[in-house]
Amino acid sequence: MQMWVYIVRRVLLVVPVVIGVMTILFLMINTIAVPERIESFYPPSHSGVQPWDPTEPCKNNTNLNCPNPLYHQAEVALGLNKPVPVQWALYMYNSLTFRWGYTNNASSVANLYPSLRDQPVTEVLAWFLPYTIELATLALLLTIVIALPLGRLSAVYRNRPIDHSSRLMSFSGYALPTFLLGSLALYGAVVLLSPTGHSPICPGQPALNDFWGSWPPAHCATLLGSNLNSFGYPPWLINGFQSTPTGFPTIDAAYHGQWLLALDTLLRMLLPALVIAYGTVAVLLRYVRNSMLEVMNLDFVRTARANGLDEGVVVRRHAGRNSMNVTITVMGLTFAGFIGGFPVIEEVFNLWGVGRILALSLQETNGGFDFGLIFGSTLLFTFLIVAANIIVDILYAYLDPRVRLQ
Amino acid sequence: MSGATAPPSAAGPREPVAEPTGGERLRRQLRQSRPRRFWDRPHPQLAQLKRTWYFFSRNGLALAGLVIVLFFAVAFVYGLTYSASPTQLQEYCLTEGLAPPGNCYIGFPTVCTYPAGTAPPSPSGCYATPATYPAFVAPTVRVSPAQFGPLPFGSLATSGSTQYVYNLYAGLVKGTVWSLTMSVSIVGAGAVLGLVIGCVAGYYGGLTDEVLMRLTDIFLSVPAILLVIVVVIAASNLGVSGFSNRILLVIGAFTVTWWPLYARIVRGQVLVTREQKFVEAARASGARGGRVIRRHILPNSLYPVFVQMSLDVGTVPLLIASIVFIGFTTILPTHLPEWGSIAAVSTESLPSILSTCAIGSCVVPWWQILFPGLALFLFAISVNFVADGLRDALDPRLRR
Repeated sequence: MQMWVYIVRRVLLVVPVVIGVMTILFLMINTIAVPERIESFYPPSHSGVQPWDPTEPCKNNTNLNCPNPLYHQAEVALGLNKPVPVQWALYMYNSLTFRWGYTNNASSVANLYPSLRDQPVTEVLAWFLPYTIELATLALLLTIVIALPLGRLSAVYRNRPIDHSSRLMSFSGYALPTFLLGSLALYGAVVLLSPTGHSPICPGQPALNDFWGSWPPAHCATLLGSNLNSFGYPPWLINGFQSTPTGFPTIDAAYHGQWLLALDTLLRMLLPALVIAYGTVAVLLRYVRNSMLEVMNLDFVRTARANGLDEGVVVRRHAGRNSMNVTITVMGLTFAGFIGGFPVIEEVFNLWGVGRILALSLQETNGGFDFGLIFGSTLLFTFLIVAANIIVDILYAYLDPRVRLQ
Repeated sequence: MSGATAPPSAAGPREPVAEPTGGERLRRQLRQSRPRRFWDRPHPQLAQLKRTWYFFSRNGLALAGLVIVLFFAVAFVYGLTYSASPTQLQEYCLTEGLAPPGNCYIGFPTVCTYPAGTAPPSPSGCYATPATYPAFVAPTVRVSPAQFGPLPFGSLATSGSTQYVYNLYAGLVKGTVWSLTMSVSIVGAGAVLGLVIGCVAGYYGGLTDEVLMRLTDIFLSVPAILLVIVVVIAASNLGVSGFSNRILLVIGAFTVTWWPLYARIVRGQVLVTREQKFVEAARASGARGGRVIRRHILPNSLYPVFVQMSLDVGTVPLLIASIVFIGFTTILPTHLPEWGSIAAVSTESLPSILSTCAIGSCVVPWWQILFPGLALFLFAISVNFVADGLRDALDPRLRR
């Protein structure tokens, strides 16, 4: 089969999955009471319906003496007066055309960060997605760089100390909660690198700020220079969130010539990326080791050795190719867990990515949920995972041509 | 007539009994062999179990894991009998005189720090909204730098002067019960659902298989954490409330995310088992689908499920902890002590402690993080060791 036929087939297989996930999300959204849905997905700036005052007698619009005309208007605009199948179709259409509603006016996110109030959900997510992508790329690279050689080593030196220690690492990666490992790494790094508690980079700042938070600490003249906007950030960081022109903070800092800032942003990602990699390596290592062990006993490896090839070449070229396939397959399988770890790690390190926004929108105390952001980021994560699975399958078919024939 | 009904007595001469032949003889032999003693009969499953135990017990890590798992089992029983009354669990609230005990979270303390030699801040100093307490107020743990005192084990709160008023011990012991109950029931329910769906998909194949596996793909492509959160939010919107209902809700939400993995594993196993001779024989002797699955395919597809289950039992408390950590504390009912939530909430308070005071001048309440964290870690890792040992013992290719 031609490669492109395989790709088209693989992409077509995704359609039912996407429809299914969106249907589940639609059913979940349908459980939200109508006033909350209007509040969440159709804010005052667009509907004129003000945030509901709990003392307002007309809140649920059940009181016939005070019908709220704007309420009905919003109901019609959201399509809530239509039959459920029509609502489903509307939801599918809106989701696929990236009309994911608006962020809330009075949720905890809105109260903490007023510039995130009343914004289109897609726009807010687009502000934070590049950071998560940078972090994920770094974590993936680290995972592969650590897991592949370590897995091969522990297969070659089976039942030796190196094998035992890597297996122990794999076990502890399973068993340690990410937030504990992350906090340990964070505070360990703070204490190790600056025993005095003062930042070596920004005089007068606590050392914690060197590792905690994705954006540079405000008013750190060494990093930011003197040209700051009213938020205390470089002018190309609009609202303190939105990086221009590409959206990727490291690339943008470099683009604007602030090399120190770019380096700082990258270094801030290193520790969280390592923590994520640790958990993923734990899963990957075992598969790489097992597949290497299986292949090392096969005939073609013996032939290669009998022909007098260097052992390193045999491990890398003959057996190692196989472990590459396994890495890619397992990455595809564990990608959901990999992405699911981002809210936690971004919360630990106070990184401004999509996961942190999700975590913020889940806080019930200071204003309540932000349904638009919760369901929007769930949809986004799902799309990311589906896309990653397609890429993994295509890569796998490229590496192992037998797959294309099935 | 009378002679025919008379019982055969010893008086009459014994009639020669013809030795039965053929089928009758076989049947008689079978009948006679039935009341043999338990240990006289062959027990292939028992022998298999013995063999498994032999290989398992040669694995040092697996044995160590088993010992820790047994420790947790004992702690579970102890936790069941441990009479931690709500007042005992919430005594910090009583000593602090903050709020009525009904308004306290177990295991959700916020930490207030204050300089040595000064009076503790007023309770309201620890809250964002001091005027009125919201319905559920997080209790306050006060950490004084001067008193890096005894660990907050036992009922230290009885003396008013003790600073560590959060009864961690009670929380952890009761937490064992809840954590283990939840994780075992989640994994059990997920495995049962996955077994049924995987068996049906693998055995019948065709359109059934295609539909069920697409359904599995759908559930596998949403991150577990997010799916659980979304399901819990939806159910709360539908009005699920109350202590037991919310626990059932958590179990249900996790089950929804957990079965696809099992369905996939079981299906893969069934696809192999289905082609074997004994299944063919069962079908040839007229067994229908349900019976073949129940009696022949299911028992032969169970082992990988057991291994995966023992792996997953340790993961569930970690996932709950993660969910609480990212701030979705509403997932657990109030007053529920649980390892993950205690560890998560204590860890969450770290940055606020460390960013408000310079390093060296304030005490980090490390015990609040260490002990629940240790419980999580030990449970997960021991269960992992056991699962790994089980896999090695059950799979002849992996035996060393």
